[in-house]
Amino acid sequence: MPIDCEDQELLEGFLAETTELLEKLDDDLVALEKSSDDADLLNRIFRSIHTVKGASSFLGFDLLVKVTHKTEDVLNRLRKGELSVTPEFMDIILEATDLVKVLVNDIKAGEIQEREIDGTIAKLLPLLSDTPPGQPLPVEPPPAVSQPTPASPPKPQKPTVSPVPEPATPPPARQDPPAPAAVPQKTGGEIVAKKAVPPPKPAEGKGDDLSDNTTVRVDVKRLDDLMNQVGELVLERNRMIQINQDLQQGEAEKVDFNEEFGKLTKRMSFVTSELQMQVLKMRMLPVDKVFKKFPRIVRSMARDLGKEVELKIFGEETELDRSVVDEIGDPLIHLIRNAMDHGLETPDARLAAGKPRGGTLVLSAVHEGNQIIISIKDDGNGIDTERVGRKAVEKGLVSEEQLAAMSQRELFDLIFLPGFSTKDKASDLSGRGVGMDVVKTNIKKLNGLIEIKSEKGRGSEFILRLPLTLAIIQSLLVDVEGEVYSIPLSSVLESLRVDQRQFHLIGNREILKLRDMVLPLVRLESIFGVTRQNEKNDFCYVVVVGTAEKRMGLVVSRLVGQQEVAIKSLGKYLANIPGIAGSTILGDGRVALIIDPVGLVDGGDSR
Amino acid sequence: MSNALVPVRTDESHGELIQLVSFNLDREEYGVEVLKVREIIRMPVVTRVPNTPHFVEGVINLRGKVIPIISMRKKFGLMDCETDKQTRIIVMEVDGELKGFIVDAVSEVIRISSSEIQPSPAVVASGIDQDCIAGVINQAERLLVLLDLEKMFSHDEKNVFGS
Repeated sequence: MPIDCEDQELLEGFLAETTELLEKLDDDLVALEKSSDDADLLNRIFRSIHTVKGASSFLGFDLLVKVTHKTEDVLNRLRKGELSVTPEFMDIILEATDLVKVLVNDIKAGEIQEREIDGTIAKLLPLLSDTPPGQPLPVEPPPAVSQPTPASPPKPQKPTVSPVPEPATPPPARQDPPAPAAVPQKTGGEIVAKKAVPPPKPAEGKGDDLSDNTTVRVDVKRLDDLMNQVGELVLERNRMIQINQDLQQGEAEKVDFNEEFGKLTKRMSFVTSELQMQVLKMRMLPVDKVFKKFPRIVRSMARDLGKEVELKIFGEETELDRSVVDEIGDPLIHLIRNAMDHGLETPDARLAAGKPRGGTLVLSAVHEGNQIIISIKDDGNGIDTERVGRKAVEKGLVSEEQLAAMSQRELFDLIFLPGFSTKDKASDLSGRGVGMDVVKTNIKKLNGLIEIKSEKGRGSEFILRLPLTLAIIQSLLVDVEGEVYSIPLSSVLESLRVDQRQFHLIGNREILKLRDMVLPLVRLESIFGVTRQNEKNDFCYVVVVGTAEKRMGLVVSRLVGQQEVAIKSLGKYLANIPGIAGSTILGDGRVALIIDPVGLVDGGDSR
Repeated sequence: MSNALVPVRTDESHGELIQLVSFNLDREEYGVEVLKVREIIRMPVVTRVPNTPHFVEGVINLRGKVIPIISMRKKFGLMDCETDKQTRIIVMEVDGELKGFIVDAVSEVIRISSSEIQPSPAVVASGIDQDCIAGVINQAERLLVLLDLEKMFSHDEKNVFGS
């Protein structure tokens, strides 16, 4: 049924507000479970649901009204102290909010689907009667709790809708992202089993919340600042025109001109970089956008796995670019799932190991220079490198000899191999060996690095280093026999001047011994086929790049300097050139190619 | 460049009029449809792109946009020659994006009627890709080869970098 809403603006406002409220609601509900006597929190939850109800009844979304209304009633009883917060109770409330989300998403998609809502409502109803919750009551008309609508259970659907009461398949409008589909339904006991219609799964639909951000809310102050800056830019432009005119008419002395022009250049560069910062800031989103769905996920997973987990989140106000925010959701879910499933132990195992019953999962984000660092840390049993190694050999991913020669770090890296899993059987949650591969691929795509710290029995930490933005990057310009290339600074670890006589040859591969590390080298001039112009020089520069979990040295003739560059696409004709990520335009108008260290490192393996 | 030099020959023409940009390449004259041509520029500094087919000369900065440059001589297997004052890049929209093509010289815009286009003879100048020749135009004292550059990227080259 298409939505006939006369006022499109009103509808958009409703959607924006509701989406925001619902996102917050999830968080609050999970928090409520922990501190059930927090009256403020409860009131806030109540208000959110009430607002959604009010707005949807005004706009005539009947299904939405029904669900929110019942939920509100239940919450009202909770507020009055007639009910208490139990995990079962929360399951039902969370299911109801999930249903609300599905309904809102339908509206967002522009098509109201006929949804089976009675199942969820039926679960809410017992909570409205005086019988203690959790008891599998047959659904019956609830007694005299303040309740305006006659709440006889499975109400006939609205007459206007097509008489298909049980659409057995989810509507096509929602593409179920494959990854979150693995998140299981909450344990609702036999109640869930009763339902013929697939209930909305917790993570479904939420995954795409982020990607459909077509409009931006910008702080008015930021907009004002931007306007100010543009004003300044206009002034500087006028100044420039003036200087040019003076010069053309021969009025300006050469000395004057030089001085004036120098000043102008300085001011211009100041204003433009300010402007750039402002625009970048407007594209920034707090990482909270991604983080806030995790309490829910962690909660439902903990219940499924029978583990006790406390999720602590730090630095959720850290901001990063929209493009990055959209991309890190999936990898983080996988890492959290990994930590919950493999890292943290069951309460019994923890007690046996002399640890507190409940495990702790710490998710934190922090800025460091031009990067954002996100860490996921658990206090579980850490990575058992022996077991990892054995499994990798069993699965034929590495050979015995390779395994024997591996360092601790390389052993950790094994878990990123596609198809690797320590589980013998794939479960709902994990075991297919896909998750960590997804993590690696996505992080690489973002030019990020992954670092693993793990101590057996004490826990592990996954550290992601990501660039703040993908549009403008800091880069190191290098000279390769006269051609200028740009290397993203985010993947440059260090650069050094080396005597070529220090290079060693292993097989036909050049390597460099750098401190305690053996660094494979790649000569850019040979893989890019640059014709040698200068005589062979004994000294050259080695730029050490690291991508995700590998390191390698790029041999270049000269370092030109560090520069902030805007990334330009090479177009689809020249897309996918091995080792080249894109291009940029230098100060003199020439094009310089941006090296893709990820591609080089991977390509370097096969060479 | 004026099209007054080639008056529209209404007496002979049947079918619609089309306008062509004609250019030279190693003594031969070629034409492409004018609607495809975005602009014609002089040779700027070209940045070489490694690991590309030999006829991809590199990329240039066209007012803030980076576009690939293809050498027509190399593409057609002709002798390479030095760029001179006549050398031009024809920027065209081919296959949905802008590309630049290096030619020896651009001469003029001519108008012909579509009925003047004859199918290309079985054997044409050596090395030239048969597929991208859309036809031949035989006017009194000149022979013009009409190119369809979309076809140039239709099969093999398009897939060179395809994932």
